[in-house]
Amino acid sequence: MPAGHGVRSRTRDLFARPFRKKGYIPLTTYLRTYKIGDFVDIKVNGAVHKGMPHKFYHGRTGKVWNVTKRAIGVEVNKQVGNRIIRKRIHVRVEHVLPSRCTEEFRERKKKNDQLKAEAKSRGEKISTKRQPEGPKPGFMVEGATLETVTPIPYDVVNDLKGGY
Amino acid sequence: MVFVKAQKTKAYFKRFQVKFKRRRQGKTDYRARIRLINQDKNKYNTPKYRFVVRFTNKDIHAQIVSASIVGDVVLAAAYAHELPRYGLEVGLTNYAAAYCTGLLLARRVLKMLEMDEEYEGNVEATGEDFSVEPAESRRPFRALLDVGLVRTTTGNRVFGALKGALDGGLDIPHSDKRFAGFKKDGKQLDAEFHREYIFGGHIASYMRTLMDDEPEKYQTHFSEYIKRGIEADNMEELYKKVHAAIRADPTAVKSTKEPPKAHKRYNLKKLTYDERKARLVERLNALNSTADDDEDEEDDD
Repeated sequence: MPAGHGVRSRTRDLFARPFRKKGYIPLTTYLRTYKIGDFVDIKVNGAVHKGMPHKFYHGRTGKVWNVTKRAIGVEVNKQVGNRIIRKRIHVRVEHVLPSRCTEEFRERKKKNDQLKAEAKSRGEKISTKRQPEGPKPGFMVEGATLETVTPIPYDVVNDLKGGY
Repeated sequence: MVFVKAQKTKAYFKRFQVKFKRRRQGKTDYRARIRLINQDKNKYNTPKYRFVVRFTNKDIHAQIVSASIVGDVVLAAAYAHELPRYGLEVGLTNYAAAYCTGLLLARRVLKMLEMDEEYEGNVEATGEDFSVEPAESRRPFRALLDVGLVRTTTGNRVFGALKGALDGGLDIPHSDKRFAGFKKDGKQLDAEFHREYIFGGHIASYMRTLMDDEPEKYQTHFSEYIKRGIEADNMEELYKKVHAAIRADPTAVKSTKEPPKAHKRYNLKKLTYDERKARLVERLNALNSTADDDEDEEDDD
């Protein structure tokens, strides 16, 4: 029999619920609100059959472009051939998680604003730019003893393997 | 010991998936809860209120609750144990008391939201189906009935509370199919019959039958009623007064009791390792001393 390439082909493990997490899904997924412009991760929940995205989108992160009664419209990048297309899909909220990809950025923004305000009140200029990690500083090696190693002349008789 | 194959092996426990805590306690029906709480995403943070009615053996809890990720928030609550304040001291878990509790909650919520002038509801309690009409300025307060794990049969007290809330002025989607007095063959609500129930008519008729047939049973069964001089004939008046009192002042009374500074401990405190060792030594000593006594006694014999 031929392989079959249906919509949910090869998703036996991908869409399976994790160990001991089967059954009703916790209610926070239903209580979360999403606004247009939020970033969301798509993670398929095999227990809910409606509004499931195609397996390609599992694990992708996209931006919300539409909010309907029970689903979210997400814009995800997909490489098709030699270009990347911005694909717009609708996914039910059970298959969506709020993304933490911008969390670090938002925290940094808040902290930087605070630092800048403090510096302004003190009257000094600061740079809040992130610096990449530079080369490690030099150091002296302590407590090292010197051991000179010289090569020994090649000895055919001793080095022959496999018995002689 | 009889050799019995262990039914619940270690493997069984390793693979066992526990149900949600409130399901294990048998208190929450998650299938219903999901459907009650789920709010349209394009309504964002608009709360969806549930009209929760729960019966215990001696009390009725009626609450308006909205769900949140941190935990449900109760907007307003009414209990049957508040009804003595309005003149009803006995029969706090019957259909009529449920009606009063629902009515009290509805008036309380509307007063809290300053909508009580607009939405009077049904002041004259007839048994017929009444739905709130939207007024000019604000739309009526909408809630969804949450019965919990109760079997929704016709004439259940839960629907008594529902009727109370409807007559109080809340907008709760419903049908009259489950009110007391709905005839399945006629497919119609008998308003008179329902009205009887709202005013405790069914209790009054039972009182009358008992008085005629078994006066002693009447004395024991309705002793509290007799003590307060409530008879089969003045039931309806009593409930009418209670309804009026509720409509006059539905505000909640804050309890004047101080909360205890330290929380009362309900389970045993966990002992430390040293404490447990010390206890073991004590018990061994006690055992040894009694064993010595027994040995001495045996020797004497």
